[in-house]
Amino acid sequence: MKNIRNFSVIAHIDHGKSTLSDRLIQLCGVVTAREFHDQLLDNMDIERERGITIKSQTVRLPYKAKDGQMYVLNLVDTPGHVDFSYEVSRALSACEGALLLVDAAQGVEAQTLANLYLAMENDLEIIPVINKIDLPAAEPEKTANEITQDLGLSAETIQKCSAKTGLGVEDILEAIVTHLPPPQGDPEGQLQALIFDAKYDPYRGTVISVRIVNGTLRPGDTIVFMHNGSEYKVEEVGWFQITRNQKDILSAGEVGYVIAGIKTLSDAKPGDTITRKDDPCTTALPGFKEVQQVVFSSIYPISADDYEELAAALEKLQLNDASLTFQKDSSAALGFGFRCGFLGLLHLEVIQERIEREFDISIILTVPSVRYRITLQSGVVQMIDNPSYFPDPSTIEQVEEPFIKANILIPERYMGGLMNLCVEKRGENITYNYPTTGRIELHCELPLAEVIYDFYDKLKSLTQGYGSFDYQLLDYRISDLVKLDILVNSERVDALSQLTHRVRARERGLAACERLQEEIPRQMFKIAIQASIGGSVVARTNISALRKDVTAKCYGGDISRKRKLLEKQKAGKKRMKTVGNVDIPQSAFLSVLKSEH
Amino acid sequence: MKDCAVRRAALNRMNDLGLYLHVPFCLRKCGYCSFYSEAGRRDSSRWLAAVIRQLRQFFSPRPLTSIFFGGGTPTMLPPEVLRDLLAECRQHFFCAEEAEISLEANPATVDLSALQTLRQAGFNRLSLGVQSLHDTELRRLGRPHTAAEAAQTAKLAQQAGFANLNIDLMCGLPDQTLQSWSETLTQALALRPQHLSIYELTVEEGTPFAQQQKEGKLLLPDEDAALRMLETARQMTEEAGFHRYEISNYALPGCECRHNINYWRNSDYIGIGPGAVSCLNGMRKSAVADAVEFCSRIENGQEVWEHEECLEPEAAFRETVIMGLRMTEGLALDELRRRFSIDAAAYYGETLARLTKQGLLELADGRLRLTAQGLLLANPVMAELV
Ligand SMILES: Nc1nc2c(ncn2[C@@H]2O[C@H](COP(=O)(O)OP(=O)(O)OP(=O)(O)O)[C@@H](O)[C@H]2O)c(=O)[nH]1
Ligand code: SF4
Ligand SMILES: [Mg+2]
Repeated sequence: MKNIRNFSVIAHIDHGKSTLSDRLIQLCGVVTAREFHDQLLDNMDIERERGITIKSQTVRLPYKAKDGQMYVLNLVDTPGHVDFSYEVSRALSACEGALLLVDAAQGVEAQTLANLYLAMENDLEIIPVINKIDLPAAEPEKTANEITQDLGLSAETIQKCSAKTGLGVEDILEAIVTHLPPPQGDPEGQLQALIFDAKYDPYRGTVISVRIVNGTLRPGDTIVFMHNGSEYKVEEVGWFQITRNQKDILSAGEVGYVIAGIKTLSDAKPGDTITRKDDPCTTALPGFKEVQQVVFSSIYPISADDYEELAAALEKLQLNDASLTFQKDSSAALGFGFRCGFLGLLHLEVIQERIEREFDISIILTVPSVRYRITLQSGVVQMIDNPSYFPDPSTIEQVEEPFIKANILIPERYMGGLMNLCVEKRGENITYNYPTTGRIELHCELPLAEVIYDFYDKLKSLTQGYGSFDYQLLDYRISDLVKLDILVNSERVDALSQLTHRVRARERGLAACERLQEEIPRQMFKIAIQASIGGSVVARTNISALRKDVTAKCYGGDISRKRKLLEKQKAGKKRMKTVGNVDIPQSAFLSVLKSEH
Repeated sequence: MKDCAVRRAALNRMNDLGLYLHVPFCLRKCGYCSFYSEAGRRDSSRWLAAVIRQLRQFFSPRPLTSIFFGGGTPTMLPPEVLRDLLAECRQHFFCAEEAEISLEANPATVDLSALQTLRQAGFNRLSLGVQSLHDTELRRLGRPHTAAEAAQTAKLAQQAGFANLNIDLMCGLPDQTLQSWSETLTQALALRPQHLSIYELTVEEGTPFAQQQKEGKLLLPDEDAALRMLETARQMTEEAGFHRYEISNYALPGCECRHNINYWRNSDYIGIGPGAVSCLNGMRKSAVADAVEFCSRIENGQEVWEHEECLEPEAAFRETVIMGLRMTEGLALDELRRRFSIDAAAYYGETLARLTKQGLLELADGRLRLTAQGLLLANPVMAELV
């Protein structure tokens, strides 16, 4: 056990975690040159397309150190985006140490700080790594300065590397062996294994990622999930080495997977403890903190026939992503669906895409909302995140909306613009300090609803990519909330309703009308699109009637092709939702979700 | 009710059989063209041998009611070659006495003697690709001829004895105005053709025009202007005694193109040459659209078919409906019932009622047809019926 090192690679988004992981994997010879490709651990299509990590991934690396001994390094590559910090915290629970990467050209950013705090909460040993030193804009000295002053880490342990070229990466392997502690635990003790991740495999049932804290686990053992007492017989255990590598035993200190024919998805719960039936442990390991969903939206299948499939898809996704919540919902326009909770808008987009890709179900989402606290005149308090349940305004005593505390890091020159942005977004109690020269750390209290709308996009463009931010939920504050309805040819489309602050209502309403105008195809009659609050129209657009759509030429050679085009048009129409007599495509519903282009 | 002769004529019509021969050569490619054809003069002897061999592979006991040499530009071939090819067709198949035999030609690719040879060879209908009678517009389209040459060729054709002349025109062109369009129409009508095909420009994928459109370099008249051009065409042709019998086709009474009507009735036809489509007994096949590949397959005794399609009876019925609706006379429901054993009114039920109520379709005298409004919105209507 003294030759095992369990560590995560953590950093702000894009600072090079996955690239460094690639290099470490290659240096340890886990994959052949032929099998290798960049960002090896980002294996979901959506990760590869967007160039970001969404899921943490574990890989076991054999390493022969300079002291001549063989070590086992369990590396967990983690995502950097704020929406996925729950992934990071789960990964950290399986580790004793962490490599904290900092991009030498960008310096310390908001997520660098946030992830450092997470690692410290888990009592992890930290090795700071300055990455991308090959970049012309790299400022390794300045970055080292930020790491010592800003983060309070010791200068001696800092590693410098280029994950891209491989420069300095071997030293990192040595540092892992010498600086990070081996795991503790008793292989002879009663089995305690922490479930830190899970994934559904259609052939094998649930595949559980575990960290064995005490004891051992072998195929044939009967295991018990401590949260509900369900029992399974272990079919297979092993390590993740890009693919699953089957082994005879997992013992204390190790990280690996367990397959036990688990078909009931709710049995394997990340954060739960597995023990052995014949010699059970007495207490479960501390689990994970419950996450707070901050954004809510309803998901409806385009075709009502897909409802059951959508339910199954959400259940499987939830297994792989415990931060997703869902419950039944229904809409006059869209039929039956699910109200889902997310950790942020990127999280929402990822779930949307995974449902469409991994499960091949076309869906419509409703406008995302935060959760409001509404006190009725009767004294009853309701938590509302769905516009459909917004009470009659005349019965409302007061509405409160969630506020967050934002921690924003920017180069000093963008200060003016940022102040304006914070004020525009109804920010309160703005304070700031200078952690190192030239950089500003700004704290500001903002309504969460403004933040999920387009705050991050605006911050990024305002600071040309140099601004970063992180936030925590703070409290609820009084708000002047209204329900904004969208009407298409005078019919209210309930799925397009949204809750918004009164000062935003008109601009949101107009934005929605304009996007619908772009996305709804012209039809044989004129279409009026209106946004209204409690019956009074605040914005409107029109779509003029389609007057001409005819194929000029169609002779013998064209018949099949032209017919197929018409069939496609017909299929497209089927995929639309009809409200009143207007056909509204999926893209129109989705366009309203997006903040400004 | 109907007398025997009429019924026989109707039946005969239903049993029309057309022959299409594709000549895939053009002087150069026009910017909007998506037909399969190759630019430049090239040796056509190999192609000629191949089409003759393909022709001989077909057998039909039914007489041909129409023959159509199209392209491409068939008149890129010497008139004697066309004459011999037609003779070959007439020899191999039975050919009805009164068969319509059309030839597509481009202005300035034929002179009087060529036209005389062709007329004598048996071609009785000439279809001339004029498109516009304004040189600037012709240049913008990439047409290899002038307006004067087009008018001249039309006159020579009549002089050579073509009493059934079609002129192809296009509207909705880049830089075209309502003014220039009505001038083109006036001049075209003055040439006294028996038939006009009037197409609104369609930007087809993969053409230079599509590329220009993507780059913002193709400025077309807006919907309003295009509508007015189509309306002008309808009015001016009507005043000149033409009637619109299909979405894009206008004829003097009795001069409707029998060959094309056969397509819109979704009946049988034989297609010869690379890229040509045949449809016999519900089986549709298209030959590889590549002259070299086509020839070598024929030479090696291989199949030339690239795509084959045989629709289920219901799908074939629906396809017949949408094709038939292209014609202003529409579809006779009893004929449809005889052919497919499907009652269109019952089959489409609700949809039909709605489209009728919207004023896009009408059901009268046992025929289903598009209204004037429906003719402009044929695609969305057909997309509901297909
Ligand atoms: N020049 C240079 N580029 C690097 C280096 N390391 C990573 N990159 C580039 O930085 C970008 C982000 O790298 P990733 O490894 O995907 O970053 P990440 O930290 O895993 O990103 P997330 O998982 O989305 O948080 C990619 O374009 C890499 O090629 C480096 O050392 N030098
Ligand atoms: S002449 Fe006709 S077939 Fe040839 S390129 Fe022009 S439009 Fe196409
Ligand atoms: Mg990554």
